[in-house]
Amino acid sequence: MQGVVCEQVAIEFPTAAGPLRVLKGVDFLAPAGQLTMLVGPSGCGKTTLISIIAGLLRGATGSVSVFGKQVTSLSGAELVPFRLANIGFIFQQYNLLAGLSAAENAAVPLVASGTPWPAALQKSRALLERIGLGDHLGKLPRQLSGGQQQRVAIARALVHEPRLLLCDEPTAALDGKSGQAVMGLLRDLAVHPERAAIVVTHDPRVYAYADRVAYMEDGLLQKVEEGKAATLANAH
Amino acid sequence: MIRIAFKILLHDTAKYLALVMGIAFATLLISQQSAIFHSVMESSTRDIIEANEADIWVMKPSVETVDQPDQMSELTVNRVRSSPGVEWAVPYYQAVAQLRTSTGRNKSVTLIGVDDSSLVAAPHTILIGSLDDLRRPDAVIIDAAGFATIFPELPLRTGDVVEIGQRRAEIVAISHTGPSWTGLPRIHTRRSLAVEYARETLNPVTYVLARAVPGRSPDEVAREIAGATGLLAHSRAGFKARSQEWVLNYSGVAENFGITILMGVVIGVAIVGQTFYMFSVENLRQFAALKAIGVSNSRILGMISTQALFVSCVGYCLGIGAASLFFALFSPQLTGGLRGMFMDPAIFIGTGVFIVLVTLLSCVVSVRRVLTVDPAVVFRS
Repeated sequence: MQGVVCEQVAIEFPTAAGPLRVLKGVDFLAPAGQLTMLVGPSGCGKTTLISIIAGLLRGATGSVSVFGKQVTSLSGAELVPFRLANIGFIFQQYNLLAGLSAAENAAVPLVASGTPWPAALQKSRALLERIGLGDHLGKLPRQLSGGQQQRVAIARALVHEPRLLLCDEPTAALDGKSGQAVMGLLRDLAVHPERAAIVVTHDPRVYAYADRVAYMEDGLLQKVEEGKAATLANAH
Repeated sequence: MIRIAFKILLHDTAKYLALVMGIAFATLLISQQSAIFHSVMESSTRDIIEANEADIWVMKPSVETVDQPDQMSELTVNRVRSSPGVEWAVPYYQAVAQLRTSTGRNKSVTLIGVDDSSLVAAPHTILIGSLDDLRRPDAVIIDAAGFATIFPELPLRTGDVVEIGQRRAEIVAISHTGPSWTGLPRIHTRRSLAVEYARETLNPVTYVLARAVPGRSPDEVAREIAGATGLLAHSRAGFKARSQEWVLNYSGVAENFGITILMGVVIGVAIVGQTFYMFSVENLRQFAALKAIGVSNSRILGMISTQALFVSCVGYCLGIGAASLFFALFSPQLTGGLRGMFMDPAIFIGTGVFIVLVTLLSCVVSVRRVLTVDPAVVFRS
């Protein structure tokens, strides 16, 4: 099943020096059941591409399909419930809500979807316990380490069982050991036959967790390597 | 999502308290100054307020405010009594006279002569003595604050003898009245005695107080009195409004209090608006994350409006509570300039509406930032 299909996606931003083409016609595929890494140097357009896939950035040309739904043709009002129902996000800076406990943070997508608090909390607690945060359910983000916060963010991204998981540099703010742990957890939880997972990273140490690695440079997809995660890791 | 809104709001205790205290301070400033202004305006019509048995005041056309009466002849009373729609009418006399104590201390006083037989317009609250004692020879009633001004060394008491207009006057009772516009001690006596104290025998009436027959509107009857007598006649409310309008136009009180209240409003808007705006802007990234996740703008608007309404209600309650405490402490005092000051229910409501509007307005300004924030900002480190 093809999860995310991007065809000839391009976008430019106005600058003082004239229009800046950040994406120049990207063809990109993130199949369901696989963890796809989008890698490349800073400024190559990785984050811009996943912002377009998520419907957070509009104005791109080309076609973006998420499980058969043309994201580029959805209106702003249609994109909001689409994101809520279909996409889970993991951000580099976690972006947990400071006043909410770990369990409450993880429950936010469910609450936003209309699930009653008790049911949402029950589900988020179960997920957090599964990822080893059972002793930290009531803690606020500032009481958790970076790795723990990112695990809460993973729980938040997956608690509503989205079909697409978008991760932006999930290990960038973590030390090597925590980064490996987070990626291992992410791979265990995220890879599902009916879910596509895209991880933007420029950290070669985590390539081992990918099923596919797509290399971007200067607004274009340069090459895609497919194969078992371990093989890719050895190759780099 | 409302629960999340509360958690975001209450999480940062320092910012939450700053918001609440800012709103409380603005509420206190606005409500207290408005109430004092309102009380001062009420004090400018103290005689009208206290002579509440009468619902019509008749006077010479030259009168602009109750504290500046013009004398009329006694015949005027009968002309008013014979006007259609009048149930009863009594003479009333008001003047400023000189009081002299046995120790030689001189004071200007407001002398109020009430109808000898009915005692209409006599003070309603007697602290010491009895209203009936006003019928005794040379009897006067003085208000507590006035007594304290004239006899600062004495406790409130009756029996002291003074001179008013070089005539003997005996204090037979102590009354409690609100502060007057002039601040002079208020001395009530029978009108026949008052005109002697004031040495005014030719025109011993300043106002005729009347009551409309049941079922007739005082305004309507006042118009008929004016038509029949050529005098100026107002309902109680109409004369109060006319007197207050004069005070507003000629005293400068409106400008002075207006500036203070305006400052309260400006400070209130600045504190409430700025603090709430900063609060929302500082939480911008959290709202952006919610937007990225898929929370709609309308739900975020609901969250911010809830936060605004909650802090404005808590701040308002604290501020209005402090203002009420202020008046509860000072209003019952028998002496002092703040005695009798009070907060009208309209000020409670008006200040509340204003505070909620200002908070919602600042909420609208900050919401614009939140609603237009690019949710993709959450992808930036």
